[in-house]
Amino acid sequence: MRAVNYNPKLRLQLLLILLSISIIANIFGSYFTRFFIAEITILSIFAISLDFIASRGGMVSLGHAMFLGIGAYSTAILSINYGISPLSSTLSTFIIGVVIGLIIGYFIVFLDGIFFIMVTLALGEMFNAWVFTSDFLGGSDGISGIIRPDFSQIGIDMNNPLTFSFYVILWLLGIYFLLTKITDAPLGRNLDAIRQNSHRISAIGGYTKAYKAIAFSLSAGIASIAGSLYVQLNGFISPELTHWTVSGEGLIMIIVGGIGSISGAILGATVVHIIQHELSNIINWWMLVIGFGFIFIVLFMEDGLWGLLERIQKKLK
Amino acid sequence: MLLSLNNINKSFGAIKVLNNVNIISERKECIGIIGPNGAGKSTLFKVISGNLKQDTGDIFFNNTNITNFNTEKRARLGISQSFQKNSLFPEMTVKESLTLALTHKYNVSFNIFNSLVNNKNINTDAINIAKDIGLSDYLETKSDNLAYGLQRQLELGIAIACNPTLLLLDEPTAGMSPQETKEIIKLIKKLSINYSIIIVEHDMEVIYELAKRIYVLDRGSLIFEGDSKSVKNSELVQQKYLGI
Ligand SMILES: Nc1ncnc2c1ncn2[C@@H]1O[C@H](COP(=O)(O)OP(=O)(O)OP(=O)(O)O)[C@@H](O)[C@H]1O
Ligand SMILES: [Mg+2]
Repeated sequence: MRAVNYNPKLRLQLLLILLSISIIANIFGSYFTRFFIAEITILSIFAISLDFIASRGGMVSLGHAMFLGIGAYSTAILSINYGISPLSSTLSTFIIGVVIGLIIGYFIVFLDGIFFIMVTLALGEMFNAWVFTSDFLGGSDGISGIIRPDFSQIGIDMNNPLTFSFYVILWLLGIYFLLTKITDAPLGRNLDAIRQNSHRISAIGGYTKAYKAIAFSLSAGIASIAGSLYVQLNGFISPELTHWTVSGEGLIMIIVGGIGSISGAILGATVVHIIQHELSNIINWWMLVIGFGFIFIVLFMEDGLWGLLERIQKKLK
Repeated sequence: MLLSLNNINKSFGAIKVLNNVNIISERKECIGIIGPNGAGKSTLFKVISGNLKQDTGDIFFNNTNITNFNTEKRARLGISQSFQKNSLFPEMTVKESLTLALTHKYNVSFNIFNSLVNNKNINTDAINIAKDIGLSDYLETKSDNLAYGLQRQLELGIAIACNPTLLLLDEPTAGMSPQETKEIIKLIKKLSINYSIIIVEHDMEVIYELAKRIYVLDRGSLIFEGDSKSVKNSELVQQKYLGI
């Protein structure tokens, strides 16, 4: 796993650039553009959740779509079956994701490398299979009729994609600042150290497994928020959301963007999703193009697009 | 008594690496362990710190039976090791590495909200330790980019930073220049006032300078125990190890 990037300046610059672009595009864009921005922002949150554990604890998860699903389904059930407000549903979803993540994390964080990937993949697939057969969760039809938060009392219409986009951007910003804070705090440093040399962290008395379980559970909570916002955006949930390929796409996003900088994950999510969308309109073998592009980045561009930006930044100095 | 090893045996496959080893260390004592290459010195350290599990035998530390404790637990009780083979955080700077280790001394490793850079105690400590280990000029250098001798110094620094009761130093001066070695001896001497230290060294000058008591390990067995004078005078040791 490549470097974590302590380049707070570039991290913030990149965030501000992406933020400005999305705000401008949101204000001046069409209905569709606004919807698309909300979608990218939600995917960015998902990518950040993967980036956080990949870079801090060295954990690569191919089962994170499960938490997307947990967020999505629990939001649907809480707001439809129990009449809980959409905003409270999203917040509850975070707690649910954290708790389930902690339980799962407790049992799997001792695994290394490929074993961790395989076990998360297996867990995700089990969840996916269960969702498809569960009547309670609507089986292959999924659930529809999920509503967005209602802020009409303060004059904000969330059914307007303009406002909903801003709403999810606020979530992204909140999560971004939470994670940068953790990165610079002792727990974040210990997690980063575990990725570099977990053996030494044990030798100086660290609680290696506990740190990793906490990181995993936090990441699960964040992925759940992404799932919650995603169903509120679309109004319905389809069980395909929990397929392992969704986790795989998330990993592609963070590798393209560059692992460990948080902002790189947002950039990766943006670029990959735009390319995916544009290409799938033009050609039907777009997956092949993405595949080759991905291989190119892994082989020739250290640290993905973030690495490229860092090199440009150095040249400009 | 701080540490006691009772009848420790350890084999790798058919090779017996530790054979009925008994060692006792008093509080604030500095003990030396010498022996030829492959005698089992590093293995002994790993057994004490919990990185390796012995086949038979018990270990007591501070009146607690730690035989079944893992490395992390032993480290928290105060056993800290500097490894013969550097075990650093390659992408972290000297200062980052030391402040990281200090989060364990100050019990703040679970903190998620306060930036480590702003922790005054930890940063002051880190700078002091860097000065002690001779790395003041390299605070912002990544471990990976340090020269080998300097990496050895950082290796020691990390072991000191977590505030141990017992320090296990596995050839701390190997690969250092004579000048650096002198500085490190001075540092270890200073540390030995407050810490219990067990040191493995090939450099006999370092051992004679520091250790009050010396154990000689040969092919897994302790063949001699005594102060530096008696080691110098022992024919057995001279013949087995010092080759004179
Ligand atoms: N993990 C291992 N698996 C198998 N054999 C090992 C292992 N570790 C050490 N050995 C063997 O055990 C013996 C003792 O090794 P050890 O590293 O403890 O010696 P040492 O006294 O520290 O030597 P040196 O002075 O060279 O550092 C050697 O023969 C070594 O090859
Ligand atoms: Mg050795």
